[in-house]
Amino acid sequence: MPSRTRPIERFAQAVAKCSAEASVYGKCIVADYNSIHKDKCLTEFLRLKDCYLVVAKKS
Amino acid sequence: MKPAKLRPFLPRPAIRQRICLSRSYAVQAPGTPTLQVFNRNTKYLQKERAAANVERSRKVDYLKDEVAMRLSERLLDIDRHFNHVLDLGANSCNIARALTLPDPDPDPSKTSSPPLSSRLSHLTAAESSRGMLYRDADLPFNKDINLTREVLDDEERLPFEANTFDAVLSSLSMHWINDLPSLLAQINNVLKPDAPFMGAMFGGDTLYELRTSLQLADMERRGGVSPHVSPLADVRDMGGLLQKAGFKMLTIDVDDIIVDYPDTLALMQDLQAMGESNAILGREAGAIKRDVLLANEGIYREFYGNEDGSIPATFRMIYMIGWKEGPNQAKPLPRGSGQINITDILGGGEVK
Repeated sequence: MPSRTRPIERFAQAVAKCSAEASVYGKCIVADYNSIHKDKCLTEFLRLKDCYLVVAKKS
Repeated sequence: MKPAKLRPFLPRPAIRQRICLSRSYAVQAPGTPTLQVFNRNTKYLQKERAAANVERSRKVDYLKDEVAMRLSERLLDIDRHFNHVLDLGANSCNIARALTLPDPDPDPSKTSSPPLSSRLSHLTAAESSRGMLYRDADLPFNKDINLTREVLDDEERLPFEANTFDAVLSSLSMHWINDLPSLLAQINNVLKPDAPFMGAMFGGDTLYELRTSLQLADMERRGGVSPHVSPLADVRDMGGLLQKAGFKMLTIDVDDIIVDYPDTLALMQDLQAMGESNAILGREAGAIKRDVLLANEGIYREFYGNEDGSIPATFRMIYMIGWKEGPNQAKPLPRGSGQINITDILGGGEVK
């Protein structure tokens, strides 16, 4: 029996494929990390999440 | 013959609906910790769960083995034979394993010095998680050392007699103790006079990268912060704590170990497999939300990431040595009794 891939591992693999979007989101946070509030980088995050969802669906 | 049980025959409501009529003042009962930070039961379950996957658990022992080795190397500085040594919070007996390793002598002409285990006659490894403690019970290193395993009910209460041990070692488990002052006092109590306690624990800046980036991710995604990384003792606190517990001739130093991981999820999975996941009392139930994990990955890498695409995680180890007071023990000289100016020996410029 092939060993079961843990959900978190599948998650990690999918996230790894969105490094460009993750980097854009990270840059947005780092640019002004002293005044973070909710949804400060919402557009960047949604782009990252969209990428993740597309990749996760494929695999 | 079993004594007859009364309880099943009692009418149910008599047990359930008991109204408490007596009231008392809210006073602190002696002996109980004043401050609870960690859920010890959660920690126990996490360790048991980690140890259940033997293969994975052994794979992530790199940190505990390394620290156990660095700690037990310090035994070399004490020219003494130890009869009975306690390893408190033994995890998977990492200290016992480190002691049986062939001694790496820095001088290549005499590489044949015996392993450290020859310096002690009997090691008691005490740990509250049975699964973790007995994980490696059938490995060959067990034969090279006189090792007894003892499962503790609670690491915060030591079941040993006073003046039992010639040394107490503790490696990477004291950072989950709620009442550190009480535990240190108990360690002092079970030590024989003029016997050393040597400990290593995670301190201050351990995992500061993960702590800060999870905070930022929490803030941005959910608009608030929840504790993910334990509060840890600081180097400055440890001196005071050891002194308060009655230890003499303290030596405290820190050592950073930086481990590179491919991504934040690999780091968190390794921590989980070590049994070192979050066990703070006020933590949220359930896993971290995926949105936060996703955000955390981007922030961590952007803030701290290495150029080769890996991410660093800092583990700050506090090593401490304290001696129980004993007769004829060397004592520090009184203040101001020095005869030689230290700048005459070491040189160095004037302070401007």
